[in-house]
Amino acid sequence: MPVMNLVQSVASTLHAEMARDEGVVVLGEDVGKRGGVFLATEGLYDQYGPDRVIDTPLSEAAIVGAALGMSVLGMRPVAEIQFAEYVFHGFDQVVSQVAKLRYRTAGKFTAPMVVRMPAGGGVKGGHHHSQNPETHFAHTAGLHVIYPSTPSDTAGMLRTAIRSDDPVILFEPKRLYRAVKEEVSADPDFMVPFGQAVVRREGDDVVLVSYGGSMAETARAAEALDAQGVSSTVIDLRSLVPWDRDTVLEHVARVGRVVLVSESPQMVGFMSEVSATITEHILDALLAPPIRVSGPDTPYPYAQDRAYLPGPRRILHAVQKVLNY
Amino acid sequence: MIQESSRFEPFQDSPIRVLSDAGEWIAPFELDLSNETLVALYRQLVTARRVDERLVRLQRQGKSSFVAPGAGHEGIQIAIANSVRVGQDWLFPYYRDYGMACAAGVPLHEIFGQMLGTLADPSGARQMPSHPTSAPLKIFSALSPIASHIPPAVGAGIAQKLAGKGDVTIVSFGDGATSEGDWHAAMNFAGVQGVPVVVVCENKRYAISGEFQKQSGSDTIAEKARAYGMPGYRVDGMDVLASLYLLRELVERARQGFGPALVDASVYRYGPHSSADDDSVYRPAEEVAAWRERDPIPRYRRFLESRELWDEAAEEALEQEVAAQIDEAVKTAEAAGEPELAAMFDDVYAEMPWHLEEQREELER
Repeated sequence: MPVMNLVQSVASTLHAEMARDEGVVVLGEDVGKRGGVFLATEGLYDQYGPDRVIDTPLSEAAIVGAALGMSVLGMRPVAEIQFAEYVFHGFDQVVSQVAKLRYRTAGKFTAPMVVRMPAGGGVKGGHHHSQNPETHFAHTAGLHVIYPSTPSDTAGMLRTAIRSDDPVILFEPKRLYRAVKEEVSADPDFMVPFGQAVVRREGDDVVLVSYGGSMAETARAAEALDAQGVSSTVIDLRSLVPWDRDTVLEHVARVGRVVLVSESPQMVGFMSEVSATITEHILDALLAPPIRVSGPDTPYPYAQDRAYLPGPRRILHAVQKVLNY
Repeated sequence: MIQESSRFEPFQDSPIRVLSDAGEWIAPFELDLSNETLVALYRQLVTARRVDERLVRLQRQGKSSFVAPGAGHEGIQIAIANSVRVGQDWLFPYYRDYGMACAAGVPLHEIFGQMLGTLADPSGARQMPSHPTSAPLKIFSALSPIASHIPPAVGAGIAQKLAGKGDVTIVSFGDGATSEGDWHAAMNFAGVQGVPVVVVCENKRYAISGEFQKQSGSDTIAEKARAYGMPGYRVDGMDVLASLYLLRELVERARQGFGPALVDASVYRYGPHSSADDDSVYRPAEEVAAWRERDPIPRYRRFLESRELWDEAAEEALEQEVAAQIDEAVKTAEAAGEPELAAMFDDVYAEMPWHLEEQREELER
C-alpha cells in the first residue's frame, strides 16, 4: 500500500475518482495549474485539463452555487474552499440551496456534491485562517459533515463523499496535512462509511472523544496518561452528521468517565451535543459528568495561536477532574 | 467573444419593442411567426393572468398562506417559456414566475397544489406558495433567498457547455436581485466561462417598496452586462413578441457557443409584492393606472384582432375554457390532500439517519 500524508491522500483520491467517473470535476480558486494552495489538487490539471479542473473567479458563492447547478445536471463536483472561513461568502448557497434541495423538491432534484475545506488552527493564521466552523454546518439539516484526522480516513471518506447522493461538507485538518504519513489503501473502491467512529485505543479509566485536528493532541494526551498509569479509550468521531452515538455510548457506559475534546469554540459546539446525548442516555452509568475541552469562545487569536488549541495540558487537567470527581 | 444578435443592438437607450401600445407591428423586420403560434401566445397570456387572479383569490379566502402576484409580468414570462426547448433546456425561475411555469407546460393542478400545499405539488408541499418547479420539464425549484438560484444556473450552463449538446439555460429574477452579491458573482463567472445562459431581469422597478433609483447606481440593468463581458439588451417585457424575438435570438446565440447575454425586461407588477404587502404606501395609484394602459394582454389582443386572428367570440370561448380548466385544477389540487405528519422527515437525506428516525418516532408518539 502506498504511504502518504493527509494532503496527498486528498490529491490521490481525487485522481482516482476523476479517472473512474467523467462526471467528477474539481473547481475552486487556484486548483488548476497551481494545484491548490495546499497542493490538494496537485497534478489534476495536467491530467484532466481546464474543463474538469476549473479555476474559478475568487468567489465562494460562485464556486458553491455553480457546483450545485452542475450536480443538478448529473455531475459530481468537488468544490474547494481555500480556507474554511471563506466559505461564509458562499454560506447562503450551502444553507439555502445545497442543503435543502432534496427536501424542498421532495427528492426530485438532488445535490450530489462535495465541499472540501481546510480548517483548524495551529498554523499562525489568525482568526481568518484558523477557525473550525463545523457547528454551522452540523446545525443545517441536509448536509453530511465529515472531519477526518488521518490520511487513510480522509481518502476513504472523500471517496464516500464523492459517491454520496447527498451533499457532503468535508473539513480537512490543515495542520495535519503533512504531519503524519501512513499507508492508504490503493483499492479504487476503498471507502470509509459515514456515521462510524473509530476506536484508536482502548483503556478502562477514561474515554477521550475527539475529531479532526484535535485528534493529534488527544493522542498525545493519551500517551501522557499511559505514563501516569491511566489507561484511556480514544474515539475518533470522524463523522459529525451523522455521528456514531452507539460507539460513544458503549465505551462511556463501560468506563463511566469521558472527556470531549474539540478545538472549535465551546458555545453550542458539537461536543455539547455529544455531552447532552451521553447524559440523556446513560446518566446512571456515569461516574463523573462529561467534561468538554474546547477552544475558548473568542475569535481565533494570532499571538496565542497554540494556546487556543486544547493541548495535552488542558486535556490532562480535565481527565484529573473526571477521575477525582 | 461578443457576437451580437443580428436583429437587435445591445446597450440601446430605449427598450426593444415590436408592438406599439395600440398593438401595431412597428418592427423593422417582417413578422414570421405562424398564426398558430401567435394565437397560442395569447392563450398563454390569458391563462397566466387568470391563474394569477385565482391564486390571489385563494389566498384571500384563507386557503393559501401567501402569494406573490405576477400580473404585469406575463409578456416576458411567456416569452421565456416559448424561447427554449422545454424539457431539454433548463429554466431557473424565481418565485413570481408561475406564469412562465404554466406556459412551459407545468400542469395547472401542480401549480395550484403548490400554492395550496397539497400532495398535488410535485415538491410534496415542502415549500411555501409561489415556488414553482418541475423536474420533468427541467424547471429548477424557485427559492426565496433572492438571487441564490443564479450561481446554480451558471453551474447548469457549465455542465451544458461541457456536455456539448447545445443545451441552454434561462435564469430569471426581479430587479432587486441585481443588488445581491450572488448576482454579481454569477454574472462574472458566466462571463468568464462563456456559458450558454441567458440572464433575464424582470425589471418591475420596485423590489417590494425599494424603487429602482435606490436599487441601482446605473440607469439600467442592461448596462451592467458590459462589465461582465456580455451584451445587455433592454426590452419591453410587456411586449410578448419583442421579448420572444429577442430571447429566441439570444438562446440561439448561446446554443451556438457565443456565450451568455443579459436581458433587462421592463415590466410592472400590478399587484403588491406579495399578499403580505401594501403597495399603496409607496406607489401612487396614478402610476399603477398608467402602467395598466400598457398591459401586455389587451395590447397583444389588439394586435391579433388587427390581423383578424382573434375576435369577441374567441375571447369568450377562451375565458370559459380557462375558467373551467382552473376550476378543475383547483379541485384536483384540493382533492390530493395534505401530506402526513411523518413526511416532514423524508427527503432530508437519501437515507434517513438515526437521529431523524428517532425524532420522527418521538413526534408521532
